[in-house]
Amino acid sequence: MRYMVSVVQSESIEWEPALVQRARAGDVRSFERLYRRHIGTVYGLCLRLTRDPAGAEDCAQEAFLNAWRALERFETRSSFATWLHRIAVNVVLSRRRKAATQPELPALAAEAGEEPIEPPGEWVLDTPVEVQEIEAAIRCLPEGARDALVLCGIHGYSHAEAGRMLGLAEGTCTAQLPRARALLRARLESGVSGPERS
Amino acid sequence: MNEPTPAKVSKLSELPREIPPPRDGWPALEAKLREARAPLSEGSAESQGGTAPARRSRPRITGIAALAAVLAAVVVGISLDRWMLAPAHPTAVTAGTEGSRGASEALPVAYVTDPRYLRERAALLRSLDARLAKLPPATRTKVLQSLATIHQSMHSIQQALGREPGDALLQELLIDTYQDEMQVLSTVQEASGGSGET
Repeated sequence: MRYMVSVVQSESIEWEPALVQRARAGDVRSFERLYRRHIGTVYGLCLRLTRDPAGAEDCAQEAFLNAWRALERFETRSSFATWLHRIAVNVVLSRRRKAATQPELPALAAEAGEEPIEPPGEWVLDTPVEVQEIEAAIRCLPEGARDALVLCGIHGYSHAEAGRMLGLAEGTCTAQLPRARALLRARLESGVSGPERS
Repeated sequence: MNEPTPAKVSKLSELPREIPPPRDGWPALEAKLREARAPLSEGSAESQGGTAPARRSRPRITGIAALAAVLAAVVVGISLDRWMLAPAHPTAVTAGTEGSRGASEALPVAYVTDPRYLRERAALLRSLDARLAKLPPATRTKVLQSLATIHQSMHSIQQALGREPGDALLQELLIDTYQDEMQVLSTVQEASGGSGET
């Protein structure tokens, strides 16, 4: 009882590991709790990387499915969110590689000099205009710069972590950031929202 | 809105990391999860409910019997006994936190205050030490670790319930955890040979 009370009195107890442990043993309800806790950031990450709401939904679902399958390999000492985000980034990159083999891509059409087009299923945040402006500018960044900016600038990952997630050397990731920021600044100054060449 | 561009760029980290997806993807995901885990299960009963952890731990524990050193078991036995003997179980367990009163009120207490459950649990706990003594050290350690994990989960979930007293999923998880404990205790009984109290 003494043990119980001492634990319960601690306000800072993190209960997520308990859910992870139960989910790892096959408890779907615990995994649902984890899903509901993390779906917002996973979907947000996928959405910013894919620029496509439907594609982001698919990626998020696939990421959680892959996470469920790989839960037994998850090291409980590390952050579940980081692990999940790494899986989500993998899913996005994998889909990109598959999509790269298909000719009909919006980015290619834009590069060919056509009118800049918004990605399919334009997404709008329920946020002040200024934020929307920044989000729009981010969407227009080339993939490499956008990936680094989203992971480091928005999600707060270190260059090394972001590099690992993206399968890049840390230096490459680091180099992408000033480029991304410069492009973003230019976008915001010009107010243009057409896609950038990679 | 009219902020200089550099200031906007520096606000990247203030952009929301979470973006709610347009629809609840859980139901579809849940179906896939159950499908994905099915091949790992050892029996058809595996796919029936949300208390898989206990069912999975059973084969690891069942069928092993031997000698024991009881010191650690006694410690666990005492703490469990005290816990069990508390008049209103969930209330006693969460005593000492501000939110716990609300949590215990919101709990579906019928299960944990069911006289038959309390009787069975009391009997199992009374005989736990003796039964553990019949198990080989490795098994005994495993049992104690399982119980420790279960109790840790209980604390974590109760802590979360203190903050979110009305959370139905957490309540359900807590009940699942009580059931897991019961299942481990029952398995120890089976593994140590017989249902009679020692």
